Amino acid sequence: MEFGWSDEDLAFRAELRAFLDEQLPPDWPEISKAGPGGDAQVAFARRFCPALAERGWLTQHWPREYGGRDAAPWRHAILGEELWARGEPRGPQYMNVNWIGPAIMRYGSEAQKRQHLPRISRGDVFWCQGFSEPEAGSDLVALRTLARRDGDHYAVDGSKIWTSYANHADFCFLLVRTDPDSKRHRGISVLLVPMELPGIEVREVPSVVGERYFHEVFFTDVRVPVECRLGPEGEGWEVVGYALQYERVGAARYARAALTLDELAARARARGLLDDATVLEKLGAARAACEAARLLSYRVIDQRAHGLPPSADTNVARVAGTWAERVVSDLALELFGPEALEYGSFADAQFRMAMTAGVAVGTTEINLNLVASRVLELPRE
Amino acid sequence: MDFELGEDQRAILEAVEALLAQRAGPARAIELARKHDYDFALERALAEAGFAELALGPETGPLDAALVVEAVARAGGVAAIGAQALVAPAVAGRVLPSPIALVESGRAGPVRFAAHAETALVLDGELARVVPLVPGSVAPVPSSFGYPMGRFAPGALVGGEALEPGSGERLRSWWRVALAVELAGAMGAALAVTVDYAKKRRQFGRAIGSFQAVQHRLAECKVLVEGARWLALEAAWRGAPPEAAAGAAACAAAAAQRVFADTHQLSGAMGYTHDHDLHVFSMRLPALRLELGGAGAHGRALAERRWVASA
Repeated sequence: MEFGWSDEDLAFRAELRAFLDEQLPPDWPEISKAGPGGDAQVAFARRFCPALAERGWLTQHWPREYGGRDAAPWRHAILGEELWARGEPRGPQYMNVNWIGPAIMRYGSEAQKRQHLPRISRGDVFWCQGFSEPEAGSDLVALRTLARRDGDHYAVDGSKIWTSYANHADFCFLLVRTDPDSKRHRGISVLLVPMELPGIEVREVPSVVGERYFHEVFFTDVRVPVECRLGPEGEGWEVVGYALQYERVGAARYARAALTLDELAARARARGLLDDATVLEKLGAARAACEAARLLSYRVIDQRAHGLPPSADTNVARVAGTWAERVVSDLALELFGPEALEYGSFADAQFRMAMTAGVAVGTTEINLNLVASRVLELPRE
Repeated sequence: MDFELGEDQRAILEAVEALLAQRAGPARAIELARKHDYDFALERALAEAGFAELALGPETGPLDAALVVEAVARAGGVAAIGAQALVAPAVAGRVLPSPIALVESGRAGPVRFAAHAETALVLDGELARVVPLVPGSVAPVPSSFGYPMGRFAPGALVGGEALEPGSGERLRSWWRVALAVELAGAMGAALAVTVDYAKKRRQFGRAIGSFQAVQHRLAECKVLVEGARWLALEAAWRGAPPEAAAGAAACAAAAAQRVFADTHQLSGAMGYTHDHDLHVFSMRLPALRLELGGAGAHGRALAERRWVASA
């Protein structure tokens, strides 16, 4: 047990920071307020991801045969931390490298690997995640979107909701029911669906979180070739379980919270608020929460680095990350009350971003259920 | 970065846990608490096996010492091993006559382990002082909070050996790390006892631990305890830099408030009794949580370090 970084890792972080200082435009703080799916941020990601890829950094933790450099998971964690801290200049592409690529590596056919992995590692493709449905949120296995086999195609009918990035995506990692008579976990499959197929319609779900943040995606008799199925028919639940374990700590939200907190403290100092012991106490507590989330996320990365299977420690880390983000955004409101009420202000942007933390990528309640059953081994009924 | 125990660390931990299984544990703690007594035998056994000197060893360091301190806390050991194995070596650079009581100069009130201490390590502003204690300098104080305590007589803490400038900061930081490690150990044990109880205790025809309302509270406690634990161990490994030490202590002290409340709530009336082990660990949490000014003071210290001192 030790908590140090290797010289190589430290050098990489320093090099990466210098690269970001050079790449991010002066109006980046404004651009990144909308989150990874914002139009300007996606436009920037189209230039930025290939630049990262050119340096060999975008998918360095992948095996060489798929466009990576066989780097330890720690390298990828450093990348994620630095990029999230700056508001994620990869835009939605963080999902590609965190979990969509690894899921394709693990379950994909040779043809699927050849089709998708080079594009992901070059940084020129956007994905969205078609999981939730109007009647299947936390209870994801209640999903109903149906893919009926019709010769060498599936005919897909149904709808997905809360789909971030659907308006920009080239492909959808789509969860469907391939067996109409199946119940619960059986009969679910994953399709890698090109978004340009006829019969797909994307509609924005207007929300308080931000413009073009959520979408509903409608599938009407969309004909998807059978070779787009990822993994065996009816085994999609296993694929999703694998992907979710990567996704839950894929976004280093604690890093963003920590950087936001530094910014918050600087603003508080400029107003003389740091003379107030209560303010200091709250800032300190918030920083401690970010640090706890950081280490719990590191523990998950460490397990991956040791080649251990994904565990419910991922859920522990996710809950801690959610708490950290909330503490920071609540403090932003508290310290900058009046002006936070204006749309687009510093505190408002933080608050809206953080308000999704307990719901996105599985609710806190689902995470706590998994901690209870898998870590504490508490009995089911 | 490596969260797995190394071979040597595993060996140390296995050895100390074997020793604790023989000599510590809730039953022993309850027996000692009746007489407000100190476990000299345990302290001696730990020292004889070399566990008190890990922080200064050629092949070992503060993290190894921290793992031992945590193990002793998890076993409910009634010995000032945090001060002896973690704080004193880092602050004085040597092993001090034990038991060692850590005390803030000018702070009134009972002090953990003071009634049995040979040495007081005194936090006196910028300086740390090592004060050998003479008989009659401490009056025993009964306490509900899991440790034998004592109150220093007026003037008992003057003099002694003043360590070099900067030693006060070092003492404050290592004290915070030791506190965080002990809190992590005690919280971990309190939670484990409660989880075990929730699995066995049946009401309404089912284990209470199968109710989601109960599960979520325990799961939240688990998240808090794990966060505190890793922050404490990291701070020890890093040599207790003031900001990291304050962060670990702030996190642990805040967690302790929740863990105390929830473990007791979920253990029902049984949790209050001497027949049930919870109190051995839980009642220590308020005592530890309040030391050095508590979560508020730790949080302020962190913030001052990070955002004021650097300005």
